[in-house]
Amino acid sequence: MGRKLPPIFFALSMLALVLIVIAVWQSSTPSWKNYQRQYFQLEAQGEPNAVAKAAVLATPPQIHQILLPGLQRVDRCTTCHLGVDDPTMKNAPEPFRYHSGLAPHVPSKFGCTICHGGQGLATDVKDAHGNVPFWQDPLLAKDYIRASCGRCHKEGDVPGVPELTEGRRLFETEGCHGCHKLNGVGGSIGPDLTAEGANHRSPEWLEHHFLAPNVVSPGSAMPNFHFTRGQARALTYYMLSLTNADMGSYYSSVRLIPSPDYGRQLFVEKDCIVCHSIGGVGAKVGPDLLGVIKRHSPAWLDEQLINPQLVYPGSTMPEYDLDTNSRKALVAFMATATARDATEIVAHRSNKLTPEDVAIEAGKRDFARFGCAGCHGTELQGGVPNPNAQGGQVPSLLHVSDDYTKDEIIEIIRNGKVPPLDNAAGPTPPLYMPSWKKLMSDEDIHKIVEYLWSKQQKAKDSW
Amino acid sequence: MNLFREVWQSIVRRDPLSTDKGKSELVFHNVWLHIHPAKVKKENLRFRYTFYLGFITFFLFLILLTTGIALMFYYRPYPPVAYQDMKDLQFVVFMGSFLRAMHRWAAHAMVVCVFLHMCRVFYTASYKKPRQFNWVVGVLLLLLTLGLSFTGYLLPWDQLAYWAITVGTNIGSYAPIIGGQLREILLGGHTVGEAALIRFYVLHVAILPSLVILLTIVHFWRIRKDGGLSRPLWKLKAKKTEALVTIGAPADVAPLKTVAASQDKTYGLMEVVTGKPIFETITPEEEEDAVFSYPYAFFREAIALMVTVTSIMAISLYFHAPLEEMANPAKTPNPAKAPWYFLGLQELVSHSALLGGVVAPALMVLALLAIPYFDRNPSRRPGDRKWAIWLFTIFVVANLVLIVIGTFFRGPGWAFVPPWVHVVARAE
Repeated sequence: MGRKLPPIFFALSMLALVLIVIAVWQSSTPSWKNYQRQYFQLEAQGEPNAVAKAAVLATPPQIHQILLPGLQRVDRCTTCHLGVDDPTMKNAPEPFRYHSGLAPHVPSKFGCTICHGGQGLATDVKDAHGNVPFWQDPLLAKDYIRASCGRCHKEGDVPGVPELTEGRRLFETEGCHGCHKLNGVGGSIGPDLTAEGANHRSPEWLEHHFLAPNVVSPGSAMPNFHFTRGQARALTYYMLSLTNADMGSYYSSVRLIPSPDYGRQLFVEKDCIVCHSIGGVGAKVGPDLLGVIKRHSPAWLDEQLINPQLVYPGSTMPEYDLDTNSRKALVAFMATATARDATEIVAHRSNKLTPEDVAIEAGKRDFARFGCAGCHGTELQGGVPNPNAQGGQVPSLLHVSDDYTKDEIIEIIRNGKVPPLDNAAGPTPPLYMPSWKKLMSDEDIHKIVEYLWSKQQKAKDSW
Repeated sequence: MNLFREVWQSIVRRDPLSTDKGKSELVFHNVWLHIHPAKVKKENLRFRYTFYLGFITFFLFLILLTTGIALMFYYRPYPPVAYQDMKDLQFVVFMGSFLRAMHRWAAHAMVVCVFLHMCRVFYTASYKKPRQFNWVVGVLLLLLTLGLSFTGYLLPWDQLAYWAITVGTNIGSYAPIIGGQLREILLGGHTVGEAALIRFYVLHVAILPSLVILLTIVHFWRIRKDGGLSRPLWKLKAKKTEALVTIGAPADVAPLKTVAASQDKTYGLMEVVTGKPIFETITPEEEEDAVFSYPYAFFREAIALMVTVTSIMAISLYFHAPLEEMANPAKTPNPAKAPWYFLGLQELVSHSALLGGVVAPALMVLALLAIPYFDRNPSRRPGDRKWAIWLFTIFVVANLVLIVIGTFFRGPGWAFVPPWVHVVARAE
């Protein structure tokens, strides 16, 4: 016994050695090293002399990573995508091609995955692009990348992404708030959408869902709003942009892009037209602003907006406490403003409202803000299908004064109401009136009721 | 050259291994090897009697110690960097994936081998007098192994880890009075969070391994003191066990024990105390049947070591340790499952929380601890202990069946599903 033992032991030791060598080999030949080698060869082609060529080729391979604590991510994409910020790589093949049109979102400050998705930590092709099990945020398809702009630019227009603005507008006007909570405001019939973009649904699913909610998720209470394809796309963009992730002060501080439109909005808000004119239209207390951008530099105008006294001692212009982007927006507006703008602004301004109208207007705004329109319709016409509720649909609000007193309606808004059943033995209707007393103040409710009463059609009119 | 030899001899102070004296001195001059006897019985070396499961378990523990310490260099036990460190091991650290895979698979293998080792000891009746206490130590080591695996389960901080620990600790919290508090102490709160991670980490890398090392030392020491590795005593010739000898008492006191003549060899502390030891000993006739530990036992152990190491390495090269999405307390997977070795209990919990959370685990541990003291049957011959073997086999099979059901036959809502459902789900 025992003669064979040492040879067996020796053989097993050799096997262990081989396995270790395989493990070392596996670890030392990751695919990113191949890509780097190819890139260095590409770079070397452009080098004029042999010494420089050799130096480029001898660059040691290493992992490149962009640490982005403000965005809570580490992006190693540039380990292979080496030419992203090198304009000479404009015509290079992927993955080395230059990314044009990036400024001011340079990779060194923003990384890649905040816009593109994918797994920034990974260093091999499949994992990095995120189409692997247990990574919920794969690379966004080309059509949807621009939705990511909304992750940081949470307000205002984003140039080049009209879908985002449209999506946000639709969300407000179509009354989505009636069923869905967003940042704490809204109903509870549908899911909270505050972090919908972090749920990592596929964009195609979302778009499909907006077009036909019941087909994509059977039994959903969500009515079909008959959106166009463009509107579905816009809403999808908005949904993808909704993350409640903290973007870090550096990224969120620039969320309002100083566009001329935003400048015009400020111009109206601050009532500049009371003192200034544009192209002769408006008041003449301050100087005319047409072509002001040609008379003064943007820096001078900026200074003037910060502290008018400093530039013109004795100036009667008040200080407005505007932040940097607001000032930039105003300057941008002044650069494009014409007499026509001024005419419109003046016309709109002179359209004075009575206090009653103001209350009704506020009620209309609340009606939209809390998403009542989602079920009751933008024109109070109702008609959203609600199976097994009496009448089979959400009631119109055009005749509430016939059936209810104001106090009764206030009561219904405050405490909610389950619709009476069409067939007592049938299923519960998916939609119901939620209780709003925790979300709306009494004042809000009164304003909404005033608005409703202002829209009542007399019985005789409707016959 | 002389200096070289002098240095070598200062380290290895024994005769050449070609001599019997050298072979003995290799064992008892060496602090690491002297836990072995200089000579072992041939039948102790038989693979088919022990399957070397104890050794394999110990070697797996050694693999876990070395890979575990290496992993500690790369791991920070707080969320969410703990998860990021897992990703770094996978994508950046040299041989990081391999290291983590080895640690993971060796851990699962150790749980399996500890259990198999226990079964072997039971079926060969090796827990019987005088080895009762070593069985108890073994049961404690089984519990510590489960504890090590369970605490290690949380550390990757992925969905698998988070929910396995949430479910696992929930099972424990069904214990009356202390259950909830025990869970709170273990987690450092009411839910699995930062506090739980650091507590599990300290338990995993410091407290539990230290206890395992301490108890392993006792376990090995007791093997020697209880008469060496277990062997099929019932196969020894009957005549050796016929004569009885009284041991363990001075002349004027009642005798401690009466044992068979085959166990009458005395390793006395001469001139200090009188009396004979309570352990199995080797009779002069058997002595002739023994061989030197070197090379017969040592090479066998070394081969067991190499088989263990190469198997774990080979598996780790081709199967990476799993890593799911980062832990998300707001997103419960359906079904959320405990680690596989607790799935039998979870299956019971799904029928009755009291049964699976309290009665079954408490009874199992108490029954295991009590086995050597309740089993009064002195015989180790399988034919004489049919009842014991039947009972233990039912216990083992019931455990296995419950674990298999919990692992492969339970889907969303803990509903019964055929096992291929998981394969399909994985493929999607």
